[in-house]
Amino acid sequence: MIAVENLTKRYAGVTAVDNLSFTVKRGEIVGFLGPNGAGKSTTMRILSAFMPATSGKATVAGYDVFTQSEEVRRRIGYMPENNPLYLEMRVSEYLNYRAALKGVPSSKRKARTDEVLERCGLKDVGRRIVGQLSKGYRQRVGLADSLVHDPDLLILDEPTIGLDPNQIRQVRQLIKDLGKRHTILLSTHILPEVEMTCSRVMIINKGKVVASDTPENLTKLIEGGGTVRAEIRGDRATIERELGALPGVKNVTIEAGNDGFVCATVFAPPRNDVRVHIYEKAAANKWTLRELSRVRQTLEDVFVSITRVEAPASKQEEEK
Amino acid sequence: MSKLCTLWQREIAAYFLSPIAYLVMVSFLVLNGVGFWMLVMAFDGRTNDVSVMQIFFGSFFYWIGMLMAVPVITMRLFAEEKRLGTIETLMTAPVSDVVVVWSKFLGAATFFALLWMPTLSYSWLLNQFAAAPTPIDWGPVVMAYIGTMLVGFFYVSLGLMASSLTQNQIIAAIIGFVLIAIMFFLGFMINIGPAWLQSFFGYIGSIDHVRDFSRGQLDLRRVILYISATVFVLFCTQKIVESRKWR
Repeated sequence: MIAVENLTKRYAGVTAVDNLSFTVKRGEIVGFLGPNGAGKSTTMRILSAFMPATSGKATVAGYDVFTQSEEVRRRIGYMPENNPLYLEMRVSEYLNYRAALKGVPSSKRKARTDEVLERCGLKDVGRRIVGQLSKGYRQRVGLADSLVHDPDLLILDEPTIGLDPNQIRQVRQLIKDLGKRHTILLSTHILPEVEMTCSRVMIINKGKVVASDTPENLTKLIEGGGTVRAEIRGDRATIERELGALPGVKNVTIEAGNDGFVCATVFAPPRNDVRVHIYEKAAANKWTLRELSRVRQTLEDVFVSITRVEAPASKQEEEK
Repeated sequence: MSKLCTLWQREIAAYFLSPIAYLVMVSFLVLNGVGFWMLVMAFDGRTNDVSVMQIFFGSFFYWIGMLMAVPVITMRLFAEEKRLGTIETLMTAPVSDVVVVWSKFLGAATFFALLWMPTLSYSWLLNQFAAAPTPIDWGPVVMAYIGTMLVGFFYVSLGLMASSLTQNQIIAAIIGFVLIAIMFFLGFMINIGPAWLQSFFGYIGSIDHVRDFSRGQLDLRRVILYISATVFVLFCTQKIVESRKWR
């Protein structure tokens, strides 16, 4: 659906996107992550044919975004950052106008507008003026606009920014539903959102892709993927020594609890499950084991570890 | 073509959805109404060899209206879209830059024409309520309106270009006003500089053109001058809008 090859964009003196290459297949929901200024919005603007790249090639649905930009624009629904809307128009009026502009024939316009109003939960506010709507509703109007011409590809630049948790949940659900019929490329800072909605995550930093995989695989990637937490009653020093001697264990940290239990965090490499060893060790030493769980690495940890220092990220690529 | 129509409708709707349209319309009517009334009072009870309407086109109030109204009409066209960011949703819709520029121009030009609609009643009023009604010579009146539209549309295109240069509406209005004022005041410069420059200013200064139109002269050279100047300015505007692609 999207093929990007060696895309570079330079603004006066600043390289926003640096030799970026990636592909998005039809039907995927791809989360585009990266710190502020990593080049996410720039890439999305190039893909939506708002501005061309300095060099490189990008195609959407087989059409070149520079030379066949109108064909590309017909096939994408783009929701820019901050979701700009004409605030003085009524919701249904705005969607009808956008449908006309995007070439929906007048015979189908009413049906299309009604459908997106329905799908985005805007039925009750169709007659309201956009400027009087809450942020959550405006966001849905933006989504409805990107959907109104039934595009193959949705490009959503931070669709949940500035929403409250309930609204985020609603929009997330909406995006998930949309993913059944459309290919979606979305950027966001809210990482749990990506974990829950996206089939693939692409992390870019300083204009380059530094990681691209499913959220599960990404969380396995980083160090600490095999970290286990255990709460044990017993002698602190013994526990530390015994657990540290287990095969594959790199490091153990112990915190004393206030009820006689200690909380041990055992660091082991990924794909080396030390939980069984810990249980056996506890049984042999007659420790009371209250909790034994794997510490689930969040995407946030991945994000921080990859984008803050670039070296570990490339090391992990080699390991992979 | 249908997209041009869609955008044009949206531009006109945008005027009437904001208070600016009503403010401009009322101010413009008050200004022209006062001007017209003062002319009628000045002419009252005297015999003249020129008609009130002929003086009206080219009067002080007429030009103040032209010079002030047009930048206010055009200032929001691109500047507002840029400030709101809607320029992105607009330009990523499957429409070409040419269509966007022309639809904005046509929208503003339509609104400009609407501003003048109420003044059509002036000739009728004169005829109806003058003590000794003289039959109106419709030729010069029609020509005066044609001239006003030609000059006005050219000014609208200048204002549109000014708006495409910035995302601040006030700055757009000021640039627009300056460009329009230059075109207007060139008409006063016919006594300055070398002869060729004087005649050049004479050709392009707006003030004489409107006066001649209101006398009923249809000078094709001037019609062509204004149409081609308008098209040229719109072409420049289109290039400015496109410049986001190569800046």
